[in-house]
Amino acid sequence: MSAIAHAPGETIPGRKFRWTESAGGLALVVVPVAMLIGLIILPTLTMIWSTFQVPSADGSATHLGVDRFAAFFADDYSVENLHYTIVMTLVSCVSALAISLGIALYLRFSSGRIATMVHALSLFPLFVPAIIISYALVRFTGPNGILQLLLEKIGITHYSTPYLTPVGPYIGFVWESLPLPVLVLSAGLSQVSDHAVEAARDLGAGALRILIEILLPQLLRSLLIAFALIFLGVIGAFTIPYLLGPPAPEMMGPYMQRTLSNLLNPPEAQVQAVILLAIASIVGGFYIATMLRGQGGER
Amino acid sequence: MSARTRTPFGGLLLLVVMALLMLGPIVTVIVWAFAVKWRYPNLAPTEWGLKYWDVILHRSSVIEPILTSLAITSVSTTLAAMICWPAAYAFARIKFPGRQLLLFSFIAAQAVPKFALFVSIATVFLRLGLIGTFWGVVMVQMLSAVLLMIWIPTAAFRGIPPALEEAGFDLGASRLRVFLSITLPQAMPALAASYVLSFVAILFEVDSALLIGAPKITTMPLTLLTLSTQVIVQEAAVLCVMIWVPCFALLLLTRRFMTSKGIAQGFGA
Repeated sequence: MSAIAHAPGETIPGRKFRWTESAGGLALVVVPVAMLIGLIILPTLTMIWSTFQVPSADGSATHLGVDRFAAFFADDYSVENLHYTIVMTLVSCVSALAISLGIALYLRFSSGRIATMVHALSLFPLFVPAIIISYALVRFTGPNGILQLLLEKIGITHYSTPYLTPVGPYIGFVWESLPLPVLVLSAGLSQVSDHAVEAARDLGAGALRILIEILLPQLLRSLLIAFALIFLGVIGAFTIPYLLGPPAPEMMGPYMQRTLSNLLNPPEAQVQAVILLAIASIVGGFYIATMLRGQGGER
Repeated sequence: MSARTRTPFGGLLLLVVMALLMLGPIVTVIVWAFAVKWRYPNLAPTEWGLKYWDVILHRSSVIEPILTSLAITSVSTTLAAMICWPAAYAFARIKFPGRQLLLFSFIAAQAVPKFALFVSIATVFLRLGLIGTFWGVVMVQMLSAVLLMIWIPTAAFRGIPPALEEAGFDLGASRLRVFLSITLPQAMPALAASYVLSFVAILFEVDSALLIGAPKITTMPLTLLTLSTQVIVQEAAVLCVMIWVPCFALLLLTRRFMTSKGIAQGFGA
């Protein structure tokens, strides 16, 4: 038992590897790992496999083929939804990154009460679930909403509401995505020393030059990770486009939900999900690779 | 030492714009919840009151989903804690083969877009007869908690100086004793934070409830989804304020775990 009793002392140099301890460790992690396999890996693999099954003409057997994917890409409405989803995701990502980079830079070079409040406000969406902000944005930006009223009070009368247009979910996505890149970029910027910035300034570098040549290269990793995380969140979103977006085109989230629940067509919903997975796996793979590279450097 | 690049005026402008855009929508909802009459173009309600709180609190089609949600959320958060916290301890303190890979796989699981994943789970659950059942929803909703319940506690267990535990062992305490009287109290705030964060995340989870639970199991967010497109604005507003404000207060208690470094590490940045 003493092997287990000394487990916390993994920092003790020269300690031998004990199999009882390994077994204990594995026993403690086996349930969540089984959950990961049972609820993520197996269902996903099963779904991918089944989308390549094509029923024969008489329905008696199936063979492998890409017919279902061909059907998806032959349908104009499906392709339009996919295109709309990708464009919405990219535009939302880039906007959220640009705005949060601005905020993170401001926070890096400011101090005092105003900076503290800006920091707190930028993190506020962490505490607001998507369904709450979606409903709140309907009331805030919708027709005859508060934003319109406020603008009319200062004399701007041609407000047209973004609600039920593509701008609606775009605002929702940027709003909800803001904290993550602010946090990640702030962590990245805190590693840039004041000396480096001041040295560059002493040599006559302008703000833009400092940003491009000193800050951005150090932030590259943070930017890539933030981009991947926002991308993966937005591309699979349901609530924000469902409540704020136009009825058509649909983003893939609401489209899959409608195909599955209203049209009761699981095979077609699966094809849509696999296509979404394929696109997300490019960004997801890239996220995992970036992360692995960074961890390798630390250890 | 200061490297200021902006004037205080710029900062003030940024603060005002952000306050309007970040707080404006939520403040609007809170005002709506207490408005009895509020018609365009009045900037504030012309009649205030709790009329719609009364309406909502007496409607079983709203109260029942709230109770369902509280039950599902409590069960799935507690189950997730029971399976994830011991695993977090193992990841932080015990050497076993594949430890890094397995820990990493929990972070990598985020790379799967949620809604596509729920479609795949829904088709599996359909075959198993778990669609529209309490335990079906509990199982999927646990997924929303797993990452939070693993990485916050793992970081917390790692952060406890091993010397503290060593001291206990040197005094002849058993592993269990050391865990209960040294390790656990030290990790408690982080464990509690991971519980609260998971609880709120699951309570407001729409996607999985919709694909796995509906229409037999109606959770509170699904009711909110229905109410928010209806003509009477106040009903959804009351439900939002009633459920979200207490959650917000709870979440504020966890904010010291939502630091740049903590979050960045959790996402592998």
